[in-house]
Amino acid sequence: MRVSSVGYLVKQGATSVWKNRMMSFASFCILLVSLMLVGFSVLAGINISSIVSGIEDKNEIVVILHDKISDEQIDSLYVKLKELSNVSDVSFYSKEEAWESIVEGMTEEEKNFMQYAENDNPLPDTYRVKVSDLTLMEITTSQIKTFAGVESVQSPTSFADALVSIRNIVTLISSTVVFALILVCLVIISNTTRTSVHARRKEINIMKYVGATNTFIRVPFFIEGMIIGIASAIGALVLTRFAYNELYVVFNDQLKLMNIIGSNSLYAFSEISFPVTVCYLAAGTLIGALGTTISTGKYLKV
Amino acid sequence: MVEFKDVSVTYSSGVDALNKINLKINDGDFAFVVGSNGAGKSTLIKLILKEIDATEGTVIANGYNLKKIRRSKISKLRRTIGVVFQDFRLIPTMTVYENIAFVLRVIDAPKKYIKTRVPYALELVGLSDKMKAYPDQLSGGEQQRVALARALVNDPKLIIADEPTGNIDPELSYDIVELLKCINECGTTILMVTHEHNLVRYFGGRVINLDGGKIVFDEVVGGSNESK
Repeated sequence: MRVSSVGYLVKQGATSVWKNRMMSFASFCILLVSLMLVGFSVLAGINISSIVSGIEDKNEIVVILHDKISDEQIDSLYVKLKELSNVSDVSFYSKEEAWESIVEGMTEEEKNFMQYAENDNPLPDTYRVKVSDLTLMEITTSQIKTFAGVESVQSPTSFADALVSIRNIVTLISSTVVFALILVCLVIISNTTRTSVHARRKEINIMKYVGATNTFIRVPFFIEGMIIGIASAIGALVLTRFAYNELYVVFNDQLKLMNIIGSNSLYAFSEISFPVTVCYLAAGTLIGALGTTISTGKYLKV
Repeated sequence: MVEFKDVSVTYSSGVDALNKINLKINDGDFAFVVGSNGAGKSTLIKLILKEIDATEGTVIANGYNLKKIRRSKISKLRRTIGVVFQDFRLIPTMTVYENIAFVLRVIDAPKKYIKTRVPYALELVGLSDKMKAYPDQLSGGEQQRVALARALVNDPKLIIADEPTGNIDPELSYDIVELLKCINECGTTILMVTHEHNLVRYFGGRVINLDGGKIVFDEVVGGSNESK
């Protein structure tokens, strides 16, 4: 095929968008809404996952140390805790820090009373241990209990189990919703492109009668679908960005809520703009181009 | 050259459209195919264009044995045949120029050739001034002449005209057949399917009459215009 022929076919595809503007607009709208629906579901899913992870991060094992433990034993315990495969972070919390934290929340009168007891601080030294996998929290707790110098271990294993269940349910629901939406959108898009191509079946038929090859007929449809797909992706991206930023501000203004879920749990659009842009453009282009090209197949069998 | 050897076509509905047809149309022939509805005229055309397959027998068109032709070669076969339909079948979103140029683009013709050949074809059918018009801006007769220009632009060996005068004024019908006769004089084989016996009587030539899927008459008859 000559370069000029390729140029002609590309030009034909581009001009067809305008020549068949009503159907192009219908396809554009359907694709835009579909991309936004799926995109928002995915974004909601990853944010909910992030929130659950944020809550999980606050979930830690408290290792209470023996009262008469030496500094060397404290240090060696730190090393042992760090060596555990499921442990992501270990921080030491001395009995003095614990005392200060308790006193901090008291009234002036209570503080005055407490200063007499400061020298007999009954609180223990502790390690706060964060785990990487909540499902293994119980096993990690049992391992810590065996270490020398450990008086007792407090771990919210039932809460951890609940969180794991919540996370699994959230993942299942969001994946199901996204999958269902993708299916619904594909059916709608496929019907729209079929209608669009059906309206031009005579055109395809004429092309076949004058001896055009299937590729010659398909290329302009492919280009046309691709242009509509890219336009829809850009439109959907702009709208998603706008709506997402608005929602982000609304959620971040809810201070109490943010305290519960963690202020960094929600993704700002700037953090995810690159993968979102790539996914929107790739999905729009692929669905637009392939949807239209596949739909022409039925009318090529002349 | 088109040849039918013992060709029969039975549709899936059980209708016998053609029954043991034997027919040979030589290069440079001009033949009218006449017959009532359901006689098998359209089936004959569909077979030549490889739109359908013969149930029995062999069809040879422009050197291609249509029984053995590969699917990928069908487009090549169709490039050797120009087709004029009753309903014109022009692409509505393309101008007159683009409709005709499309046929040349399909065969990968150079740009320069397209630029000279399309105006030439339009000049032949007397529509040089309608190059930029869209099909819906033309009358039925003009659209049919565009379809004719499209059929002849790539210099095909055979032009099939399927009821080309069916959708135009009777007085313009004679112009269309006149044009086909002119094209035939340059060596192109013409196969014209028609219902209009007046035209056949006027122009004369080879007349193939189909009835119930069989050829009941195949002879050269004199036209009334020849006696004038």
